[in-house]
Amino acid sequence: MKKKLLATLLAATTLVAATTGCGSNTGDTSKTGGTSSDEDITITMMVSGVASENDFETEQLPELIHEKFPNVTLEVTKLPDDQYYTALKTKLASGECPDIILVQPKYAGSNSVIELAKAGYLMDLSDLSCLEKTGDAANEAFSYDGKVYGIAQGVSILGTYYNKNVFEENGLSVPTTWDEFLNCCEVLKNAGIQPIVMGDKDAYVMQFGLYQIAANEIYPNDATYDDKLRTGETKFTDEGTWDKVLEMYGELYEKGYVIDSSLGLGAAQGIQMFVDGEAAMTFDGSFNAAALCEEGAVSFERGYFPLPATNGDTYASMAPGAGPAVYAETKYPDQVKEILEYWFDGESPVYQAYADTGRFIVTYGYGADKNDPLFDSFLDLYNEGKAWYWCNQAWPAGTENEMEALFGSMIGGQGTTVDDITSGMQTMLESLLEE
Amino acid sequence: MKKSKVREKSLVMPTRMYWFAVPALILFVVFWVYPVFQMFYYSITNFNGVNYDYDFVGVRNFQSIVKDGSLVNGIKNTFIYTIIIVVISNVVGLALALLLNLKLKGKSIFRTLVYLPALFSPIVVGFIWSYVYMPGSGMLSSIIELFGMDGTKLNLLGDFGKALYAITAVDIWKNVGTTMIIYLAGLQTIDDSLLEAGKIDGCNEWKLITKVKLPLISATITINVVLNVIAGLKAFDYSFIMTNGGPGKSTQTLMYIIFNTAFNKQMMGKASALSVVSFIIIIAITILMLRFMNKREVEF
Repeated sequence: MKKKLLATLLAATTLVAATTGCGSNTGDTSKTGGTSSDEDITITMMVSGVASENDFETEQLPELIHEKFPNVTLEVTKLPDDQYYTALKTKLASGECPDIILVQPKYAGSNSVIELAKAGYLMDLSDLSCLEKTGDAANEAFSYDGKVYGIAQGVSILGTYYNKNVFEENGLSVPTTWDEFLNCCEVLKNAGIQPIVMGDKDAYVMQFGLYQIAANEIYPNDATYDDKLRTGETKFTDEGTWDKVLEMYGELYEKGYVIDSSLGLGAAQGIQMFVDGEAAMTFDGSFNAAALCEEGAVSFERGYFPLPATNGDTYASMAPGAGPAVYAETKYPDQVKEILEYWFDGESPVYQAYADTGRFIVTYGYGADKNDPLFDSFLDLYNEGKAWYWCNQAWPAGTENEMEALFGSMIGGQGTTVDDITSGMQTMLESLLEE
Repeated sequence: MKKSKVREKSLVMPTRMYWFAVPALILFVVFWVYPVFQMFYYSITNFNGVNYDYDFVGVRNFQSIVKDGSLVNGIKNTFIYTIIIVVISNVVGLALALLLNLKLKGKSIFRTLVYLPALFSPIVVGFIWSYVYMPGSGMLSSIIELFGMDGTKLNLLGDFGKALYAITAVDIWKNVGTTMIIYLAGLQTIDDSLLEAGKIDGCNEWKLITKVKLPLISATITINVVLNVIAGLKAFDYSFIMTNGGPGKSTQTLMYIIFNTAFNKQMMGKASALSVVSFIIIIAITILMLRFMNKREVEF
């Protein structure tokens, strides 16, 4: 009886895929004329997401671009994620791809920059001057084979939210090494305060702590670790990589620093407990800042720091946001580059409108000072180039689920060891890569 | 010649009336039969759900679901879930129906109350119950703290051995009302004269239930058991909403694994292979059960 459901879903998906594929082709047909810059031209752009009122991409952007380049009409289509992926595939396959498309960093999603660049669909953007501003971490995440193919739109941060008042009362300051961090937890625990709360019932939150540790302990030693996973040169089971990360994170559970009942708490419940002052810290992302800063049972000041490295040389775990890339076969390569330069120059009206959407944590230029002060220390690290993308952005989707399930078994006392987790991750990775 | 004349004369179903079934048939074939066959086809490919440039991989999908343990784990969890649901739902549902079939004051209020949870969406129920189970400050924890026990130790959804039972309990709580209603309907079809005859023959209340009422509602029992078996084998909602298959993989039912494989891991081929296997299992169980139960039904 179940299959009925699945089959229907499949059929529905196929149908939607087919219809969107055809339905949205119309945008391209108006592309006419030569490449001379004073001739009227239409540049097409396709992004994913749901348009809001006075939407940046579909309303403000075309208008502002037209003001600056009167001969350019920018046509923007915005599609919900699933439809976007299918429409993109269809358009790429038929050679009718819009000039500007939205791509995700590394291998994330079906519009990942590496997969598209590898297939030759994207234009090399390495010579854009705005890339100097977006930062090495972002450019690195949008690179393939040493060339940059996309521009990051802001960043998302993973870090450790903490209760400043509790830290002060116990004479603690923001830890700068892993040992100091463990010490903080120990002091709090001895003072009868639960150091960390996590809502591990929603297993994805395990990534919030693990990726921070990985940013410190794996990538500084080998920046291409994830790329080499795909060729088999590195493995999750390599000594001193994920075994170390999982052991460090597991220690927090073993010593009771993370609340015992974490596996029974949902993500929202974990946040609620932090907000109510029932625990001093929680690992979470910039995207949940609003929920974590809400007024709870007690009021206190929040702080946000990246988990420190064992050697004190701390890196942040910050994901560059999906951003625009240019279709390799575009008829107007120069104009498109001009538009992108203008958009990301840090001061143009387009950039201001983009920063004012509040959807992105901008790292430079206009609006960078308007970000939540919680993020300051992270943005400093980022602009120093001391930040890494989120691990799963470089993995085939599904690898992290295996990691979470096995890590859950370990902290749930099912006899799972760190070696079981790394070999399970490796097996899952290999089977996903095989597909 | 003669034959066709006879047919044209049929008022109930003239030949041309069959054409009226065609639209429904087309819909059925396009949206049901064809996708099901497609599933069999995809189960031997490495289709990822998006890219139609896939390869045939033979039985590799089937081998890998056995090798990585997901099939065995899924079947085990699904069977436990199903057995609990079938037994408890039916026992409790029948007991409630017998009780609410008595001439009680305000019995329609009680009937409504029992049926009420069935009206909510599983999303709502799952969300509320994850707060009931929440360790430390959830409803159950608070209750046992009233009795002086440590509420933070009560971590049902976070415990590998208990999480599956905890979500099963929610499913029963939500659906026992439906089971009860069906039993109630069955009980009301029993002719009073039969019960009176029983009483005159010296039956006590217990004997009346076991010797008269139960045999007479055997068809209702069949339908309830079958419905609950189906609901159990289809179990997905509470694993998805309340535990995400966790902790570890301890609440991953077959349907949850299929969904996860298809839409998180983007392995439509492997998910189809899992679907094919569960398709066969469910069909086999349903046929066996119907044969077994039909034999035991009593007609009067």
